[in-house]
Amino acid sequence: MNRQIARLGIGLLACYVALFAMLNWVQVLQADEYAEHPLNTARIRKEFNRPRGSILSADGAVLATSTDNPDPNSEFERIRIYPEGELFGQVTGYFSFWYGASGVEQAYAAQLSGQTVEQQLRGLGDLFVQRENVGNVVVSVRKDLQQTARDALGEREGSVVAIDVKTGELLAFWSYPSFDPSSLAGLDHGNVEQAWKLLNAAPGQPLRAHQYQDRYFPGSTFKVVTAGVGVQSGTVTPEEPVYPVERSWTPPQTQVPIFNFGGSACGGSLFQVMEISCNTAFARMGTETIGPDEMVRGTATWGFNDAPPIDLPGPARSVFPTNFTRDLPKLAQSSIGQNDVQATPLQMALVAAAVANGGRMMRPHVMTEVRDADQQVVSRFTPSTWKQPLTPEHAAIIRDAMIGVVRSGTASALAIPGYEVGGKTGTAQLGTEPPRSHTWIIGFGGPPGDPQVAVAVVVLNQPGASEFTGGRVAAPIARAVLQQALALKAGG
Amino acid sequence: MLLAVVATAGAYVLASLGTTAEIPVNLGPFLVFVLGLFLVAHIAVRRYAPEADPVLLPIAALLNGIGYVVIAGLDAGGKESFAAAQATWTAIGVVAFCTALLVVPRIRDLQRYRYTFLLTGLVLLILPFVPGLGSERFGARIWVSLGPINFQPGEVTKLVLALFFAGYLVDKRELLRSSPRRLGPVRVPEPKYLGPVLLAWGVSLMVMISQKDLGTSLLFFALFIVMLWVATERPSWLIIGALLFLAGAWFSFTRFGHVQDRIDIWLDPWQDPDGTGYQIIQAAFAMAAGGLAGTGLGLGGAVRIPLAESDFIFASIGEQLGLFGGTLVLVAFLMVIGSGLRIAVRTDQPFEKLLAVGLTTLIGVQAFIIIGGVTRLLPLTGITLPFVSYGGSSLVANYMLIALLLRISDESNRRPRKPEVVASAGAL
Repeated sequence: MNRQIARLGIGLLACYVALFAMLNWVQVLQADEYAEHPLNTARIRKEFNRPRGSILSADGAVLATSTDNPDPNSEFERIRIYPEGELFGQVTGYFSFWYGASGVEQAYAAQLSGQTVEQQLRGLGDLFVQRENVGNVVVSVRKDLQQTARDALGEREGSVVAIDVKTGELLAFWSYPSFDPSSLAGLDHGNVEQAWKLLNAAPGQPLRAHQYQDRYFPGSTFKVVTAGVGVQSGTVTPEEPVYPVERSWTPPQTQVPIFNFGGSACGGSLFQVMEISCNTAFARMGTETIGPDEMVRGTATWGFNDAPPIDLPGPARSVFPTNFTRDLPKLAQSSIGQNDVQATPLQMALVAAAVANGGRMMRPHVMTEVRDADQQVVSRFTPSTWKQPLTPEHAAIIRDAMIGVVRSGTASALAIPGYEVGGKTGTAQLGTEPPRSHTWIIGFGGPPGDPQVAVAVVVLNQPGASEFTGGRVAAPIARAVLQQALALKAGG
Repeated sequence: MLLAVVATAGAYVLASLGTTAEIPVNLGPFLVFVLGLFLVAHIAVRRYAPEADPVLLPIAALLNGIGYVVIAGLDAGGKESFAAAQATWTAIGVVAFCTALLVVPRIRDLQRYRYTFLLTGLVLLILPFVPGLGSERFGARIWVSLGPINFQPGEVTKLVLALFFAGYLVDKRELLRSSPRRLGPVRVPEPKYLGPVLLAWGVSLMVMISQKDLGTSLLFFALFIVMLWVATERPSWLIIGALLFLAGAWFSFTRFGHVQDRIDIWLDPWQDPDGTGYQIIQAAFAMAAGGLAGTGLGLGGAVRIPLAESDFIFASIGEQLGLFGGTLVLVAFLMVIGSGLRIAVRTDQPFEKLLAVGLTTLIGVQAFIIIGGVTRLLPLTGITLPFVSYGGSSLVANYMLIALLLRISDESNRRPRKPEVVASAGAL
């Protein structure tokens, strides 16, 4: 029987050699393919179960943090919670097992989970200390300002952006409708899936951060850009040209005239046409004074046709058309913010901020610091210039023009006692009957001679279409936020 | 022997350090408890079977230990607590091990009870069908529930069947070898001598098929053919076995939906990755994630594999300990096979020889079937990985199996040695 036993041994050995070969096939040769397989959720599970730091507002509120999962049967150890709910939904974004991440959760994923090279190197020093190597991200948005923006806008679709003109830090960053990220961060697949479907089907698309991911017709607020391009190109000065007082102006190549609001007649030099937001004058300025090539080149220096380098995912590009050579009527329309001109609320806030900041448009950002688990600062954002559309001298001209609009023009509702405030209203007609419009205001304010904070407000789809609509609807919101932001600057 | 035990203990300490440092589970006391059990088993061997093979018990303990640590790690990932139950079952296994060494001082005494074993085996097989006792789980009716205790009788059946086969075949060996009849080119023994064996095999197979326990059916079939072949020294049995296997496989493939499902999943698990193919695909992902060195003990995500702690524990090992860990387990089973067959070769008593072959085949083939299933070398058939998987019946039965092997080894080593060359020459 021993011979059979020896053969049995060889047979079994062969079986195990086959197992060993199969094991090598699975674990070595096929390993990468399996790791990359779309059905393989191992990586996202690993990412999802990693400790994750908190997101804090500039005034110390906890916006996102992780707590222990009370369910011992769950495969996940932690739950992500968002104590401020929808107030910061579009800043923090969500962190969802099934739907990925958005907002700060996406942009600073590596920092939050301690995965940056810098944090890893620091972590090496903690080899023998039991400490979670996570980062806490502090954002520039303040809870009190955000709350003011939310209260002022109420349940009207729209956005409120307030920005520090010198650093580019976003101080308020609100849009309605918003969403509560907790509803997507849960660990129950059914609940999260249902919340996701509801949010995607909801009117107003709450999951989109309208402040910087959606663009609208900017209407007359765009006249600031037209004026800026004119002044910077040297074709427009406070004195020259003086535009004729007229009810309408018909651009070349067309029979369709451009009217002023309410059929009124207006004209004059830069400051005058700015105060009353004279359509005919600005249409002429873009078409006759500046010309198509310079308008296209000049608007680009203000950041149009270029996505702002904000540290949040998916910023929308603002658009200024570039195909005017044979279409001067289109240029005329575009010069007053109609036709195909589209801008995000963030972009228009940046326009106001650049005017206020001596012509330098700072890179917009929300992260101010990343701190480690012991609240030591790991990295800090350094402000930098994104665009410089104006020289300081030219910026001063536009600034004075905008201050004039508040002092004696359409944006008088923006005035704040004790501060020097400039602004520009806008009403983008939607061509509906009865007339409805997106109403805008952009502006800046600060102690005299020292503008500090810029704002942009858009309230969508409001009844009416007069040039004063923007002043009536959007200005009080901008004023409330601007006033509080300036008070905080003065206090701090 | 002492060295092997020290090495085992060392592996435990390392494993416990690695585990407790990473997962907040109260593993320490359990490990001390489990280690103590192995010490008890070791002392029992030294005392009651001092001449026995020194490799088997430490290897069994090592496999048991790896399984235990991985199970504890899976516990920490959530779900129920299996580790405490596994520790308890290890204790019962060690008690069974010591008892087997005590109550069986001489293996050849067992030969007399071969028909008792046959009867026991058949009764155990039918138990899951007894209303009130049997219960179906995971699609297989192989469980017996007695109050809080759930038992798989199949695990014990394999022991008593090996005992019966060994006893009966040794008894009728010469008659079976004579093979006066011819069936074509193949010489076939007298049916009447083959009767009881065929009966045992046929009944067990039928019962098993009706219980949908494919792994155990395959194991019993392999046991039957291998023992018949070794006993009769006729290679024709391997051919007949292969033909019978093909016929049986074809029959069950065409008749039983669950067999077709298994084959379909084996050939292409991707056609239903969230359903029938889920388990095998997740196992592949887990093992691939383990790579060469593994993700570390307790750090795998293998909890998402259904039955990660029992049938699929090899995938968990592959994930947490990588190719190295998986290879270690393969080598451990090869060493068990090597020791078992060496014991079989060394003893000059036919019954003991055949029994040792049967027992070794059981462990070797069982591990091969399930590891092959998990790695998709073979179609998946649910069965435990001896000593490693979570499960009481399996642990107890396999510890008794090792005890019998050690007893055989002890006896043959204590007998005055005949010159081995002559013995083998005689057998040749």
